[in-house]
Amino acid sequence: MNAPDRYERFVVPEGTKKVSYERDTKIMNAASFTVEREDHTIGNILRMQLHRDPNVLFAGYKLPHPLKYKIIVRIHTTSQSSPMQAYNQAINDLDRELDHLKSAFEAEMLKFSRDY
Amino acid sequence: MEGGASYARMPRVKIRELKDDYVKFELRDTDASIANSLRRVMIAEVPTVAIDLVEIEVNSSVLNDEFIAHRLGLIPLTSDRAMAMRFSRDCDACDGDGQCEFCSVEFHLRVKCMTDETLDVTSKDLYSSDHTVVPVDFPDPAGMEGSENRGIIIVKLRRGQELRLRAIARKGIGKDHAKWSPAATVTFMYEPEIHLNEDLMESLTLEEKKEWVESSPTRVFDIDSVTQQVVVVDREAYTYDDEVIKKAEAMGKPGLVEINAKQDSFIFTVESTGAIKASQLLLNAIDVLRQKLDAVRLSDDNVDTTEQFGELGSHLGGS
Ligand SMILES: [Zn+2]
Repeated sequence: MNAPDRYERFVVPEGTKKVSYERDTKIMNAASFTVEREDHTIGNILRMQLHRDPNVLFAGYKLPHPLKYKIIVRIHTTSQSSPMQAYNQAINDLDRELDHLKSAFEAEMLKFSRDY
Repeated sequence: MEGGASYARMPRVKIRELKDDYVKFELRDTDASIANSLRRVMIAEVPTVAIDLVEIEVNSSVLNDEFIAHRLGLIPLTSDRAMAMRFSRDCDACDGDGQCEFCSVEFHLRVKCMTDETLDVTSKDLYSSDHTVVPVDFPDPAGMEGSENRGIIIVKLRRGQELRLRAIARKGIGKDHAKWSPAATVTFMYEPEIHLNEDLMESLTLEEKKEWVESSPTRVFDIDSVTQQVVVVDREAYTYDDEVIKKAEAMGKPGLVEINAKQDSFIFTVESTGAIKASQLLLNAIDVLRQKLDAVRLSDDNVDTTEQFGELGSHLGGS
C-alpha cells in the first residue's frame, strides 16, 4: 500500500538535477558526483572507464540504498586533470566505444547474412 | 588537454548464430562492465509496447477482471516502433491518458461462446488500431506441422459466457514492469582458456584418464579413440565448476589442467520475446545506453564553468 511508485526508479523529479557534484574540501582534485535515477548499469561502466585514465588516482561508485534511486561516483585525479574533466572524458570514451560496437555489429550482421 | 588522449576501446564482434528471436555472438576487446551493462539494458531498459490499461465492458468468464487485465499485459506485442514512440507520461500531444498515436495503441476484444464446445479466447482475438503493433505471431517449431497457430490463450469460455473489452497499449520499459521487457533471456559467459599439461597427462593410465574426463559434470573433455590422448572437445561447455581441477588434485596430479576465464572475451546469447528481433534488441540496447550516458554528462547547466577553469588554472599555476 505504501510502496513507492514504480516510475520513481527512473523519472527524475521536477526541480532535481540529473547530475550534481561536490568537491572534496580537504583533498585537491577530488569530488563526488551524485547521479539521480541511475544504478549499476551506468555506475559500473563509468567506474571501469575512469580506471583506464592514467590521470585518475581513484574512481569508485556506490548505490547508497536500494530504495534511493541514485548513485554516487567519487573521483580523485592528478593535478594534470580534474574530476569533472575525467568524468566527461570517461563518458565520451564510452560513447565512442559503443558507437564503434554498433557499427561492428551491423557490419557483422551484413556479413553473416551474406555468408550463411 | 581537451579532446586529446582517448582511452576508448574498439571492441570486436563475431556472430555465431542469427535468427529472428535468437542471436549468439562473441564480444571481444572490452570488459565485463560493458558486457554487463548491455545485458542489463537489454533486459530492463529497451522499450517495447504492452497493454497497460484495460476497460472491461462485459466479463462473465471464470477469471476476474484484474486477472484478465494482467494476462493481457503479458502478451508480447510487435514493438519495432517503440524506440520512436513517446512515453505517455511525457507526451505533450495528449494529456497523459495515453490515447494518442504518439504514445499508445488501442485494442478491442469481443468474444462470446455460443456453442457447447469450450471456446478459447486468444491473442488472435485482439484487434489493433495500428497494424504495426499486433500480438506477436509465434511460428510453430519445426516438426509441429499441421497444428495451426492458435495464439496465446487469455481465457476459456463456456456456453453463454462473454468477454468484451477495450485495451490501451503503451510504451514502457522492463524496469517499470517485466511485461515491457523484450528479453526472454540474455546471458554472457567469459570465454574459457583450457591448457592441458600433456606431460603430466601421459603419466596417467587410460583408466585414470577416463576417470578424470568423467569427473567433469559437462562434456568438456574426451579421449581420442586413436591416440588415447585427452582432448578438449567443447571448452565452452565448462561451467567454471572446478570439478576437474579438484579431481586432478585428488588423483595426486595438481596442475594437470589450467583453466582461465579470459577477462576481455565474452560469449553472449540473446533470446527475444518476439517483440523485436534479437539482433535489433542489441542495437537498441546500444542506443539506449548511449542516450543514458548522454543524459549524465556534466552540462553547462550543471557545471559552474568559471569556477572549474578557475580551479584548473590555479592548479596548473601552482604546480
Ligand atoms: Zn500521447
